[in-house]
Amino acid sequence: MSKYQSIRVERGAGGFGGPLVITPTEQRNKVMFITGGGTEPECLQKIVELSGMIPVNGFKTNCPEEELALVIIDCGGTLRCGIYPKKGIPTINIMPVGKSGPMAKFITEDIYASAVTSGQISLADGSQPAAGRFADAGSDSGAGDGKTKFNADMKVSETLARQENKSLVTKVGLAAGKVVNTFYQAARDAIQTCITTLLPFMAFVSMLIGVINGSGFGDAFATILTPLAGNIVGLVILGVICSIPGLSALLGPGAVIAQIVGTLIGTEIGKGNIAPQLALPALFAINCQGACDFIPVGLGLAEAETETIEVGVVSVMYSRFFTGWIRVLLAYAASFGLYSV
Amino acid sequence: MDFIVKLASGFTGLFTLGGEQFMSWVSGIIPTILMLLVLMNAIIALAGEATVSRLARVCTSNPVLRYMVLPFVSAFMLGNPMALSIGRFMPEFYKPCYYASATYHCHTNNGIFPHINASELFIWLGIANGITALGLDTTPLAVRYLLVGLVGNFISGWATEFTTRMVEKQQGVTLSRTFKLTE
Repeated sequence: MSKYQSIRVERGAGGFGGPLVITPTEQRNKVMFITGGGTEPECLQKIVELSGMIPVNGFKTNCPEEELALVIIDCGGTLRCGIYPKKGIPTINIMPVGKSGPMAKFITEDIYASAVTSGQISLADGSQPAAGRFADAGSDSGAGDGKTKFNADMKVSETLARQENKSLVTKVGLAAGKVVNTFYQAARDAIQTCITTLLPFMAFVSMLIGVINGSGFGDAFATILTPLAGNIVGLVILGVICSIPGLSALLGPGAVIAQIVGTLIGTEIGKGNIAPQLALPALFAINCQGACDFIPVGLGLAEAETETIEVGVVSVMYSRFFTGWIRVLLAYAASFGLYSV
Repeated sequence: MDFIVKLASGFTGLFTLGGEQFMSWVSGIIPTILMLLVLMNAIIALAGEATVSRLARVCTSNPVLRYMVLPFVSAFMLGNPMALSIGRFMPEFYKPCYYASATYHCHTNNGIFPHINASELFIWLGIANGITALGLDTTPLAVRYLLVGLVGNFISGWATEFTTRMVEKQQGVTLSRTFKLTE
């Protein structure tokens, strides 16, 4: 009957989430991939073959969200992996990343699967309902009838908040409650950020540093890195290399590479092999490629039109390339007098 | 036999080193950042996106406001990635330019305000840790990072207007220069 078939996607080795069943319809028939600066992920071909969905390259163009049946990403766990689950669109991450990043709470097993390769794609047998929370469910029922009786479904504070003529005491009480709750929620979010992003990264980098320093590999690495990061010419070269259009998008995901290079340079500064005032230009040099992998999604957040995204991806990569090294030089100029003896 | 024992203790030694590093970061860095995060999260929740949205409408008209003031405030108030969503108040042509500037703002201000981009903090922290190891204060570095960032991010945003014009010609399209209210 239909030219589209439902497919089943399972998590791959070390992955999280799934299995997902993707059921394309006449309206929702696109699979968008935002991976590796626009290269096709390995599992794409099989998905397209089995399901009949139309592939869309998220780096080249954009597609209205209501046409998306599936999104494929390669996020290292900082941002992108949560954006589409948040919007209710089923998401495949080709990296083995679980609940992570600022949007971790939206990454759930019924909408997200990671570490997926073509081996995990198969035709669905109809035993499982389709994934995705598309916005067509009815909204919650409206507010209550405005009376002020306390009842078992609402807390006292909620009942009071619905009263129309609040007394001063009630107002003050509610305001204080709101502030306290806001701070409490802020603290919960802060702890969540530490657990989902900061601590895992610290653990991962600590392990790397331990191995690098303990094995003597660090000294070997320092002899390569010091001439590059230890003077301004090297830093400019590092910046230019990082921002080469195309390469910049590959270096981007999760800013993981920049963060590791930063940590290694920091270690060398700590040992005294690199002058401390070079820390400032180094901060700019290692991040010349900043956010080049994120352009389609970021412009999507700004509700940009398809054409804007097509132009924007190329344009931002060019501007990174043209201005990256200027920023390094600017930082160098501003670094005089910093930590000088 | 001796050799095996040496190998094993060397192997464990690598992870002891890593563990020490981890503990020094957890006890030295996490508490301060956590307190800052709590306060900043609360300020953002109380003042909210509405304030930034109002500012955004005023700021679209001139380059300095557009690439220096607005992205700074959005990054501070909304953090990464929601700061990028403020681009929706710009005409299409300026969206990539705003993006170019705002994404950098999510890094350069991170030295003083780690709540902006806590998940990519190690770009700053990795290098700053070296300064700490030397027994120096990282604040002067953080302040200069922010100030050079302000100027540099403005240049990056503004330069993107030129590259966007270039790519428009290459691709044969013209993006709208005026703001359309979309429903």
